[in-house]
Amino acid sequence: MQGFVKENGNYDVLIIGCGIVGATIARELSRYTMKIAVLEKASDIPFGASRANSSMIHGGFDDEPGSAKAKFCPKGNRMYHRLHEELDFKLRKFGSFVCAKGESEERHLKKLFEQGKANGAVGMEIVSGQKLREKEPHTAPDITAALWCESGAIVNNFEATLAFIDNARQNGAALFMETSADGLLFDETRSSVRGVSTNRGNFRAPVVINASGVYTDVISRMAGDDSFIIHPTRGEYFIFDRTVGGMVTSFLFSCPSALGKGITVTHTADDNLLIGPTSVQQAGRDNRNTTVPGLDETFDGARRLVPGIPRNMAITTFSGVRANINTGDFYIKALDRPRGFINVAGIKSPGFTSAPAIAEYVAELMRENLGDVVKFENDPAFVPERKHIPRFIDLPNEERARLAKSDPKWGQIVCRCESVTEAQVVEAIRRGARTVAAVKLWVRPGTGRCQGGFCSPRVVEILSRELGISPLEITRHGGDSYMLTGKTKQPLLPESAQ
Amino acid sequence: MTLNEETKKFICVSCPVGCLLKVTVQGKDVLSVEDNGCPLGIKYAKNEIANPVRTFTSTVRVSGAHLPVCPVRSRIPLPLSKMRDVAREVAKVQAIAPISIGQILIEDVCGTGSDIIASRSLS
Amino acid sequence: MSDYAGIREVDVAVIGGGPAGIAAAIAARKEGALKVVVFERDWEAGGILQQCIHPGFGLHMFGLELTGPEYMDRYLKQAYEAGVEFALNTMVFQMDPPAETDGRKTASFWIMSPKTGIEKVHAKSVVLAMGCRERPAGALGIAGSRPAGVYTAGTAQRFVNMEGCMPGKKAVIMGTGDIGLIMARRMMLEGAEVVAVFEIMPWVSGLRRNVAQCLDDFGIPYYLEHSVCELHGKDRLEGISVVKIGKDRRPVDGTLRFVGCDTLLLAVGLIPENELSRMAGVEISPLTNGPVVNDFLQTSADCIFASGNVVVVYDLVDFVSEAGERAGSSAALYAMGKLSKPRELPIETTPNIRVVSPQKLCGGRDTTVFVRVAEPIEGRCRLFAEPGIFSQTLRYARPGEMNEVKISAEKFRALPETEKCVRIGIEAF
Repeated sequence: MQGFVKENGNYDVLIIGCGIVGATIARELSRYTMKIAVLEKASDIPFGASRANSSMIHGGFDDEPGSAKAKFCPKGNRMYHRLHEELDFKLRKFGSFVCAKGESEERHLKKLFEQGKANGAVGMEIVSGQKLREKEPHTAPDITAALWCESGAIVNNFEATLAFIDNARQNGAALFMETSADGLLFDETRSSVRGVSTNRGNFRAPVVINASGVYTDVISRMAGDDSFIIHPTRGEYFIFDRTVGGMVTSFLFSCPSALGKGITVTHTADDNLLIGPTSVQQAGRDNRNTTVPGLDETFDGARRLVPGIPRNMAITTFSGVRANINTGDFYIKALDRPRGFINVAGIKSPGFTSAPAIAEYVAELMRENLGDVVKFENDPAFVPERKHIPRFIDLPNEERARLAKSDPKWGQIVCRCESVTEAQVVEAIRRGARTVAAVKLWVRPGTGRCQGGFCSPRVVEILSRELGISPLEITRHGGDSYMLTGKTKQPLLPESAQ
Repeated sequence: MTLNEETKKFICVSCPVGCLLKVTVQGKDVLSVEDNGCPLGIKYAKNEIANPVRTFTSTVRVSGAHLPVCPVRSRIPLPLSKMRDVAREVAKVQAIAPISIGQILIEDVCGTGSDIIASRSLS
Repeated sequence: MSDYAGIREVDVAVIGGGPAGIAAAIAARKEGALKVVVFERDWEAGGILQQCIHPGFGLHMFGLELTGPEYMDRYLKQAYEAGVEFALNTMVFQMDPPAETDGRKTASFWIMSPKTGIEKVHAKSVVLAMGCRERPAGALGIAGSRPAGVYTAGTAQRFVNMEGCMPGKKAVIMGTGDIGLIMARRMMLEGAEVVAVFEIMPWVSGLRRNVAQCLDDFGIPYYLEHSVCELHGKDRLEGISVVKIGKDRRPVDGTLRFVGCDTLLLAVGLIPENELSRMAGVEISPLTNGPVVNDFLQTSADCIFASGNVVVVYDLVDFVSEAGERAGSSAALYAMGKLSKPRELPIETTPNIRVVSPQKLCGGRDTTVFVRVAEPIEGRCRLFAEPGIFSQTLRYARPGEMNEVKISAEKFRALPETEKCVRIGIEAF
């Protein structure tokens, strides 16, 4: 049936993509009375590069002074140190080391140090290899010097992304999942955008922000701006069991090369050990496959920093695709024509760190360029604080006891590896989780050493109960990713009885 | 070895040891069994040549219980050739809780002479 | 006012209500311990055996081929008769290092249940019986996508046998652990298709009879020295790539092929679950991944004992129950202040032995030491414990099957004072 297009409402601003960039922009704009909708193609948040990265909040010494990266990264770093309290996501101030082997790499450390000073990065110091090994005894003996940066921090990147969008929603922003931007709507002369057409119908607004990660160039071309190209770049990672998480206590970089920051080794916000990423350009934007050579390269690279990492303690591997841009730097621009369209593109490393600072900048850009179509009136009801679902694993026993007394679901452990209770799973579902993967991103069942072996049947059961649907309808990550294919006995019964 | 004698090798499943039996047969007659660790192997070999049997286990659907299915077994081993027929027959059962262990759920399933019984209690 | 539900004092606390824990609790009561409590996280006792609905349990213990639930039913009846108490739906989530009171070590830990909230438990002795978990797909570093439909065999077993749901319609099994073989047959009998079983090693890791009765009976092919190297499919699994592994343990060129399936079940190893043991500060063996124990099944912490798959992954549940009994009676004796340990010798093994448990001997009573070879010895060989304790001729020794070394307490006690260890090994003739 042609001609009928569902109308999905009128907004002041539409944000395409709910990665860290879309989520921070939504949260920043939710300070104002404007009506916001975020359109996310995936079934779980975060999905793209915001899900699969090194979870590092960079100090800000990596980037050429004067670049957008150099401007936003140190500022973003400072913002995170405040935001993690305001929005209650896990951030741990571990600090970072860039490790150098030999004279030429040591010269590079000096360059980074100077660059960092120029960018306004704080807490930096060049230390000897011996000093490094006093703090990090498992690091390689041939590391001769290291650049320490105290302000380097580690976040739980799932929690952080969710925190921004959760707070935005509390403050009135609408989030539409499994909603893909298939086209843009314009006025008759194509001089201004009017909205976005999606698989769920049309969303109308005078401002459209393109924060679609690896798809930013595709969407930008819909608006007629083809001035940049995204080169999807895959990075592969390993995560190791908590028992070896303590092999390092900070974030370790190799000396950067032309390809990127190289393989890193870190103690994660949740006490695992994380190594990666590789850096391989690929054609596919959605190809998040791991590869045998990629995983080998990751492991070998990590062992150059920490030789003793035991491969048999790995609990899982994953890969992420980052939105490398041909122009190099972040590309953030409000188009003159069509008016109302803003590109926020090429936000690769240090993109996660920079995101909150970028979000502030995008708001300014809107206010300057589009103040006539969108009003920037402070919302008196705006609440900047938001609470994550309490993390049972991190609570003292007194608090655990109090919660268990208040609701029996707090007394029921669902995931034994990560000590996740039924109450946490139920609350994640209440806040929007619809899939096994989404529940995992919210409250971590299945992220531990058994990788969901024991808890996935329980999570399926709780999702089914809370959503009021059959377990057969529960998916791993949306689409056709059904966890189960039917009831037992059915395949054995004659057709009529099925 | 006479013309119609033949030697077969198969694993005895009577116990976890799993001896690899060497069995000499003439038609359906077992002439000798070698490499068996115990007398069970001889019995098994004879059965296996005449009519291989196995214990059948599965579940039946149950309503009104803590679990949606209840495990069941054949009281005695059944002909291997009947396994799939028995599985289809068991699939039709819809039991009602409470069920007690050993309770007969299907008598003489598929004419095999064995009952299908509950292998746990369920309420 | 505190929100804790209180403190429980027990004589012998058993953590885990599977076959090891139940046998330990019964034995502890029989040995004379008064208050014996089993702490079980599930809503019923029985552990993983409740989902093991196939036959094959109890030949040693009862002379019968029972199913898992039937085997547990017998033990649970015995437990109730013996006066064992149960705390069901109760999770032990934290263990403290043992404390010393009146010159004796005692244990304490924290439990939680939806009904009673959080409590602390003081125990004169503890038996760890938490069992093991399955090695997950992630740990193997398989390349490719991350679709739905990849499960460990035990998770699939739970879905099928306890929840009445099918994890898939067309399965490939990776690894030849017993649960994988059992699930191949189980899926067939539920009307699913099982395409093949692939094993990376040159030998089957499960029992040979399971190859016969689970695969051969149903015409399911299995391939040794084959590695599942890549997963395909965006949403649901659509297939896997498999490659032949050569003698050099590297993939053989030109052997990569695609196998269509919507489900991959993994049976690639079991790992003892020792998070609580680690919290209590118990020494863990890197070879077994379980606590280092002596023949009392006593760990490096005097008041903590351990039994079953938490110590070492056994082939047969009968052995697990046997170990449970030993640990339970030792723990009871310890709780009553009656456990004496005149002498403790370490066991040393020949290099072809990969696993040995227990690792130390005290000679309290006759005991069995379980060993597993690193690689198969196909042919007659001699299993021994020296000096002069045990010798037995075997027809073969295989990694998939444990061998039992019988240690007579009398012979152990007769060892000269100068002996510093017991040597156990296997030599081919």
